[in-house]
Amino acid sequence: MSEAEIKIEGEKWGKQRLRADRTDALYTRIPKGETLMRIERLRVVYRADDKETVAIEEFTLPVKKGELVSLIGPSGCGKTTLLRAIAGLLQPTSGQIMIGDQPCHGAGSDRGMVFQDFALFPWRTVKQNVAFGLEIAGVPRAEREERTLRYVKAVGLEKFADARIHELSGGMKQRVGIARALVMHPAITLMDEPFGALDAQTRHIMQDQLIEIIQRSERTILFVTHSVDEALYLSDRVVLLSRRPSTIHKVLELPWTRPRDRTAPEFTQLKRDIHAWLEAQNVMEN
Amino acid sequence: MRLSYDRHNKYHRFARACLITTASLAALLWLWWLASVLIQKQLHFNSPPLATPQAAFAALFDLIQNGDPIEHRSLWSWLWASLQKFLKGFLLALLIALPLGLLMGSFKLARDFFTPWVEVLRPIAPIAWAPIFVIIFQATNGSILVVFVGIFFPLLTNIVFGVQKIEPILIDAAKTLGASDWQIFAKVLVPSTIPYLMNGIKVGLGIGWMCIVAAELYNTTLSGIGYFVKFMIDHSSYDYAFAGIILIAILGLLTTGVAEYVSRLVSRRMGMDV
Repeated sequence: MSEAEIKIEGEKWGKQRLRADRTDALYTRIPKGETLMRIERLRVVYRADDKETVAIEEFTLPVKKGELVSLIGPSGCGKTTLLRAIAGLLQPTSGQIMIGDQPCHGAGSDRGMVFQDFALFPWRTVKQNVAFGLEIAGVPRAEREERTLRYVKAVGLEKFADARIHELSGGMKQRVGIARALVMHPAITLMDEPFGALDAQTRHIMQDQLIEIIQRSERTILFVTHSVDEALYLSDRVVLLSRRPSTIHKVLELPWTRPRDRTAPEFTQLKRDIHAWLEAQNVMEN
Repeated sequence: MRLSYDRHNKYHRFARACLITTASLAALLWLWWLASVLIQKQLHFNSPPLATPQAAFAALFDLIQNGDPIEHRSLWSWLWASLQKFLKGFLLALLIALPLGLLMGSFKLARDFFTPWVEVLRPIAPIAWAPIFVIIFQATNGSILVVFVGIFFPLLTNIVFGVQKIEPILIDAAKTLGASDWQIFAKVLVPSTIPYLMNGIKVGLGIGWMCIVAAELYNTTLSGIGYFVKFMIDHSSYDYAFAGIILIAILGLLTTGVAEYVSRLVSRRMGMDV
């Protein structure tokens, strides 16, 4: 779709829609494996009572299209702060986020987010939750319903499309959260410990489903987690963050094919190494 | 036959509740009867100021069938006058409390500015305004305003509370889905406040109903169930006055009952329990 065509549609459907379509066009233009998003020298400083706390120091990370990058680090290292700054929910002190060649300002549907506590709208049904962003963007009803249903199906909730949120289990809730973010076709989906509130069994099922979804739809994901196992099971790259102020300690490439074997010697060995490093970091903290 | 109560059986629970409520109401009626007989013995009035329950209910049925004995107005016309004032006062309160509450909940400046007003005015009993309101706005509008004052404050404080209770993460979620400030207000803030609004309405209606009767008792609106009670007492028709009081109780119960039911329904539909 050319820039001019997008503009015409945008005028018809409102400004938000224009932005969503631009993201779509941009995403299609960038080939898989090329740099999609660049986080450049991001710095977050908290000021309270004349005391400055540096939460994130000079964080630079390129993210390639179609990859899943995990952020892992000692507790309280500012992983969530970093993700919120990337989402635009928090104004960084300096530095910027680029998607393609466009800098991002504030929050927007080009950077979708999945929250640990789901953050679903309790007064809306499953379908209505997923449709929220499209509604906001002014997408016409017919298209909105078609697209919503497609994503409700993609996360396997078609039987619960009209259910209310409190009727769902934790795993189902988070699937709604994932569908709600992905339906907007975000350039990047930020996931803040998305499976942290789930029990171990559900967690493993959700991890496999997530892999299935991203392989099918070629989405790009930045994933924050507490669990080393989860990071190694899911990611193409794992970013180890040091203690506050957060900086990149190391970036690990994981060239393993999926589905991965949690009992493979290289998997368990790496898991042990990272745990040892994390423990050392936490000891230094305390 | 051996009667045994099973608290896990919902019919048993219902039967038990019915039985206890009936016993409770019967005891109340008996106390009422006892009091009226004792007072009559003490005072030796021709017409006892505390009518017996029998007399009151006889008057109530007469009222339903034939209207009042003095002015021959129908029962409905007495009630409708009160209901009308009540509804107008309620709508006025809603109309002002809703935008003001959303404003105060959303903006600290508005909250800091208006909170002293609320704190100063709220402790004043709504009925204390009746004499002034009646002089300025006439009897009918004066009573409406008394109801307004009664309903306004619980409504306002509940709405402000509701807006402040919103989960910030829901606002974050809306932002990452592309919502503008206005869209966040309309699609996240307002819906999440509705259960609190309903709670405010529930509390407000109960107070408002007391206010309308009190305002009518006080002034000379010449209409409404409160005035009916006063009018009957002035004519020493205490049995009819008590029939009026019974009606006030029933209508009050109905209003709060309906409000309670609707509020619970809404909360459930909204997936939230306040």
